[in-house]
Amino acid sequence: MSAVIKTTTPFAIETVLIKALAVLGVEPLKVDASNITSLKHNGGVQLGDIFTNRKDYNGIQHFRFEQGRWILRHDSDEMNGHITASTMASREYLSVQKFLSLLSKEYDIVYQEYLQELAEQERLRLEEQRKKRVEATRLQAIEKAKSQGYSVKETHNIKGQIQLVLTRMV
Amino acid sequence: MPEQKIVITIDDDGAITAKTAGFKGESCLEALEDLLELNGVVGEVKKTDEYHQLQAVKKAHIQTIKGRS
Repeated sequence: MSAVIKTTTPFAIETVLIKALAVLGVEPLKVDASNITSLKHNGGVQLGDIFTNRKDYNGIQHFRFEQGRWILRHDSDEMNGHITASTMASREYLSVQKFLSLLSKEYDIVYQEYLQELAEQERLRLEEQRKKRVEATRLQAIEKAKSQGYSVKETHNIKGQIQLVLTRMV
Repeated sequence: MPEQKIVITIDDDGAITAKTAGFKGESCLEALEDLLELNGVVGEVKKTDEYHQLQAVKKAHIQTIKGRS
C-alpha cells in the first residue's frame, strides 16, 4: 500500500492559532489558574493549553504546546464515545482531519495578517526612531549654537524640514 | 559689526545641510565643525562664491605683502 500525506501548517504562534480557532467558531479558551479546575480531560489538563468546544471520548479536544508547535490532543478513534456514527454522518460534525485541514487554511490567512501587523509595527518603530533622531539633532544643534553665542530662529522650509537660522555679530 | 550666519536644515532622516555666510575663508568650515561636530560625517562640501572671493582676496593680499618686502 502506498500513501501520500500532508501535514498541517505547524501552528507555532499562539495568537495566530487562537484567532484562527475563533474564526472557525470553536471557542478557544486558554487554560489558566481561574478555569483549570473546571476543565476535564482524560489525558490531563495543563496551564497554557488551549481548549476548544470539540468533544470526544477523552473529553474536550485541546491544543498543547509541544516541541515548538501547538498539537491537537484528541481521541484517535473518532468512532468511540461521544462521537457516534450518526454524529459522524451529521453535516455539522467535522472530523479531526477535516477540522485540522480547515484550521490550517485559516491559520495561513491569519498568519499573513500577523506578518502585515509585524511589518506595520516595524515601520512604526523605524518612524519613531527617525523622529527621535531628528529631534536629537535639532536639540543638539540649538544647544551648541546658543553656547557659542548664536541667536537661533527656528522655521520650516517648503519641504517641511526643520530650518535653524543662527546669527551672531563678531 | 559684521554678522555671521549659519542656516542649518535638518532633513527627514536627521541629516544636516548647513550654509554659512559672513565668515572669512576656512573659518566657516571651522565654525561648522565646532557647532555640529562633523568629524567623519560630512558627505559633501560645496564652497560658495563668497568663500572663493575671500580666498582670492586673501591670496592677493599675501602677494601684495610679499611684493612689498
